[in-house]
Amino acid sequence: MTSLLQTLSSIRHRPGRTFLTALGTALGIATIVALLAVGAGAQRSAGQFFHLGASDLGLFQKDAADPTTSVLPQSMIKQLRKTPGIQAATGFVLLVSDVPHNPGVVVFGSTPSNFEVNRMVFSAGHMFSGTHEAVIGNETAKQLHLGVGDRLHVKGHKLKIVGIYHLGVEFQDTGAFIPLRVAQSIAGRQGEVTTIPIELSVKTRPSTIKRLLAKRYPGIAIIADGEESIRLGANGDLVSKAALVIAVLALVIGGIGVMNTELMAVIERRSEFAILSAVGWSGRQIAWRVMIEGIVTTFLGAIIGLLLGVIGAHYLVQILGASEFVTPHITAWALGRALLIGVLIGVLGGLYPAWRAAHVSPARVLAQH
Amino acid sequence: MPGARVVVEHVSRRYGEALVLDDVGFVVEPGELVALSGRSGSGKTTLLQLIGSLDKPTSGTIRVDDIEVEKLHNPAHYRREVVGFVFQLHHLLPSLSAQQNVELPLVAGGIGHAERTRRSHELLDEVGLGDRPKALPSDLSGGERQRVAIARALAGQPRLILADEPTGSLDSTSARNIWELLNSVRQTRGTTVIVASHDPSLAEHSDRALQIADGRLISASEDDESTPARNVA
Repeated sequence: MTSLLQTLSSIRHRPGRTFLTALGTALGIATIVALLAVGAGAQRSAGQFFHLGASDLGLFQKDAADPTTSVLPQSMIKQLRKTPGIQAATGFVLLVSDVPHNPGVVVFGSTPSNFEVNRMVFSAGHMFSGTHEAVIGNETAKQLHLGVGDRLHVKGHKLKIVGIYHLGVEFQDTGAFIPLRVAQSIAGRQGEVTTIPIELSVKTRPSTIKRLLAKRYPGIAIIADGEESIRLGANGDLVSKAALVIAVLALVIGGIGVMNTELMAVIERRSEFAILSAVGWSGRQIAWRVMIEGIVTTFLGAIIGLLLGVIGAHYLVQILGASEFVTPHITAWALGRALLIGVLIGVLGGLYPAWRAAHVSPARVLAQH
Repeated sequence: MPGARVVVEHVSRRYGEALVLDDVGFVVEPGELVALSGRSGSGKTTLLQLIGSLDKPTSGTIRVDDIEVEKLHNPAHYRREVVGFVFQLHHLLPSLSAQQNVELPLVAGGIGHAERTRRSHELLDEVGLGDRPKALPSDLSGGERQRVAIARALAGQPRLILADEPTGSLDSTSARNIWELLNSVRQTRGTTVIVASHDPSLAEHSDRALQIADGRLISASEDDESTPARNVA
């Protein structure tokens, strides 16, 4: 405890060096936290995206770069409905970046009645029935200042808004639904859909149907949860991998940075370690002192980094233009991992300087002073 | 605790081609205050460092009581509880208070907080700084810093004090005070004290004086009966 207090005294005595070391760590940790938060947000969003609310399984084309580029034949839906264990299946066409002034609005081409849209709660109007009609989510209505009777522009098509719904799924509440045929026309995909959400019978196990469908349709990807969806979506996967790469880089670069700073500090403070050695501190005790200093400094940096990361994550999605799709999701595990990395940076960066400090020759150093 | 008996036999120390100590030998009896005088670069500091196990001799043996100093593999305990160092430039840690500096050997020795506080306060009282335990070295005068350094050297209750030019950077009044303090420590505790200084007048205040020049012991005071004949002019 005293050793720790004395270490803190020593840190306080060198505020400039401590600040710079902590700042270096903080920036590394902030990057990790921001990327992990964006990655987790993307994963959660992707989960919602693939599940589309009430479905048990989501079918996509295998190896699609992202959900909107998936292409499946609409004829599959009829076959799927006949499959034992599948209670309902429907098809959606997903259109992204097709609403002027708000490219984040995802437009779903859908039939007017299926197990997904039947859950819609209308705060105004009703479900579309004609080919030139659309319904919009309550969040879209707020963002675009639209109401029933107004027009929704989707890639040159003007659709009359006949209802405002709430589904409780972020993507859908910030999106819009239009007739499937209109969406297919806009996308140039007649007879095709982007995804097929499936609802299973009560007693059917998802794994059984997954196996069956995988065998029957080798070219499709079947998603049952968000983890799988992030693996399927190349963009989400990229974010996830980027977070890992940044974490490793932060460990290596942060570790080298801390090592360099600590090493400079050890060289600068050789006389201090020589004195400690002369008054009876063992090499191990001196090494511990240096290690504790490194860990405390990087821990402080990590705490600052966590705060910066949490703030930075929100700016990051805005800079990436993904704020409509991704809300940074900050979990205790992500923060814990970042903190752990901070401490690891302190430990790894402090090892060599600690060894150097422990081997300072008091005779030589004190003779020089 | 009684002072230590120091026996130095045939000690040489070579740094590369340079022979800094050449076949030095002498004995210091328990409770003695011995002045080691000589010019700068004569080998005084090296000799103290060898006795204090801060360095190892190239050849020869050094015994402090029953401890064969040159054979110590992990000298931390010896440096903490057998010897106490006082350096010319006090060498206090600038970020620590006077009390924390005094406690340094006790921290290393795993002494509990209450005991450390008690001992450090006693020691600061003993050196006349009992009212300034929280003062940083930068707040103290040169003489006061050296007093803290002496308190730190005494913290481990050593049997031997090795003081290397303890008054070298002080004015004459402060130097006299420090000298009196070291003498007092010797008298009240019975600690053996070896003081190195380039000031020949130091011999007047000591029980015995050893003079060193170019790494060789060249003389001892008249009443020195225990000094081996080796290398003494």
